[in-house]
Amino acid sequence: MREQFPILQREVNGHPLVYFDNAATTQKPQVVIDAMNDYYTNSNANVHRAVHTLAGEATDGYEACRTTLKTRFNAPKVIITGGTTEAINLVAHAWGKANLSPGDAVVLTEMEHHSDIVPWQMLAKEMDIELRYVPVQQDLTLDMEIFEASLDGAKLVCVVHISNVLGVCNPVDKIISLSKQKGAKVLLDAAQSVPHQSIDFQKMGADFMAFSAHKMCGPTGIGALLVSEDAFQQMEPFMGGGDMIETVSIRGSTFQTNEHKFEAGTPKIAEAIGWNAALKWMEQIDLDSEHSRLLELARWLSQQLREMGMTVYGRHDDDDAAVVSFLHPTMNTEDLAHLLDARGFAVRTGHHCAQPLLERLNITGTVRASLYFYNSKEEVENFVKQLSEILERFA
Amino acid sequence: MSDVITLEELIEEFQDVDDKMERLEMVFELSEEVDLLEVEFWNDLTRVRGCQSEAHVLVSIENEVVKLKAGADSKLVQGLMGILTIALRGISPSKALELTPDFAGEMGVLNSLSPSRSNGFRNMFDKVMNEIQNKM
Repeated sequence: MREQFPILQREVNGHPLVYFDNAATTQKPQVVIDAMNDYYTNSNANVHRAVHTLAGEATDGYEACRTTLKTRFNAPKVIITGGTTEAINLVAHAWGKANLSPGDAVVLTEMEHHSDIVPWQMLAKEMDIELRYVPVQQDLTLDMEIFEASLDGAKLVCVVHISNVLGVCNPVDKIISLSKQKGAKVLLDAAQSVPHQSIDFQKMGADFMAFSAHKMCGPTGIGALLVSEDAFQQMEPFMGGGDMIETVSIRGSTFQTNEHKFEAGTPKIAEAIGWNAALKWMEQIDLDSEHSRLLELARWLSQQLREMGMTVYGRHDDDDAAVVSFLHPTMNTEDLAHLLDARGFAVRTGHHCAQPLLERLNITGTVRASLYFYNSKEEVENFVKQLSEILERFA
Repeated sequence: MSDVITLEELIEEFQDVDDKMERLEMVFELSEEVDLLEVEFWNDLTRVRGCQSEAHVLVSIENEVVKLKAGADSKLVQGLMGILTIALRGISPSKALELTPDFAGEMGVLNSLSPSRSNGFRNMFDKVMNEIQNKM
């Protein structure tokens, strides 16, 4: 598989690149690069309006991405967005403003990425909405007792499926079921789960599901919001402009009734074509067996790190992702990341856009190694070896 | 390292080293060149904002010469502070403002010199330069 990813052939600082920053973004196989290149080389045109050949090819390419997403996730409505963050902001503006009233409650968790906190804080300020945060416990799970108690009077529950810091997979089936019993809609931040799991959106029962292409071998700048039929009918247009209207006169406008209503302006055409190529490419991957392989590597790595004296923030249960966040007792995370980079390893440091979670854990940042399909056992073993040498020399 | 007089000589010394890890080690050693701003004097005014690490600087101008006190919990950032200390040693505020952050790139120790939340060095450099300008 690795030979299909041209970037993995390069060296960094004189060493073969070992890319362990997959929770931030994944690398792209040649087929994705080729699809986008082919679009710009042969089919570049705007979508949905013109009747010429190029416009038809562009429209077909763009809409094919939506069709693939609908099929892959069994979703009735797929709104193409700029990514997970834009998708969540879309829920806040298009559904939240139309369906929430002052005093209503929205339930969040301390495990959320900033992209699933800040839009709600902004809306809460604007609309006088109450935000309730479900705490993360010492064992890195959500406090489900507090979650259940927080559902009284809640209109919306926003929860991350898999934590980008801990790799912990939340019990979303239970969360959705409990929320539905109380009449609350559910928004799932699936940015970290979709790249690793097969998900049936309608079977799962959430109302909204947000994720990004670039974390699953697709291009940056594009993502999707899956929406249930019921929730879709409750959404009002957020951004106005071309492509989302039916008619416009100086007396007013009428809007499209399908997903285009929420895709004002020229959409992400090349990105959609690239993402579709990535989705098709991923069909050859056995997600379950890859998940097991990567999780085993993450467990082994965690054990090695603990033996080196590191604190590992993760539990790596069967459904958790292969994300390993760790801290050395004395060595600064930024220094460690620079030293690892000097040996070709790309890891992430910092707060990972989840400061409330880190505050709960009483830390300001971690070093994070996150694995994906193209990572090998040899790379993980070499990581441990190089890390040991770095600690011996610098710690 | 403490014999090193000029920034130019330092840059040349770094450029002679092929291995990035060795260059980082050299920067780490230069962390001892800072006139240390002790942790008890770190506060919101001294904090370098937008930096992953805790990094603090205190700039003053005494007898028309720039004085920099600095400290960080990252050895790399404090080492770069040490290099900036060497570059600023004994020079006037107007001469100091002619400095650019490019030396960190020329030394081959940072991957990006663009201002960003993760670029502790660039944020530190900009804060020092802004404070020199404000105190002139």
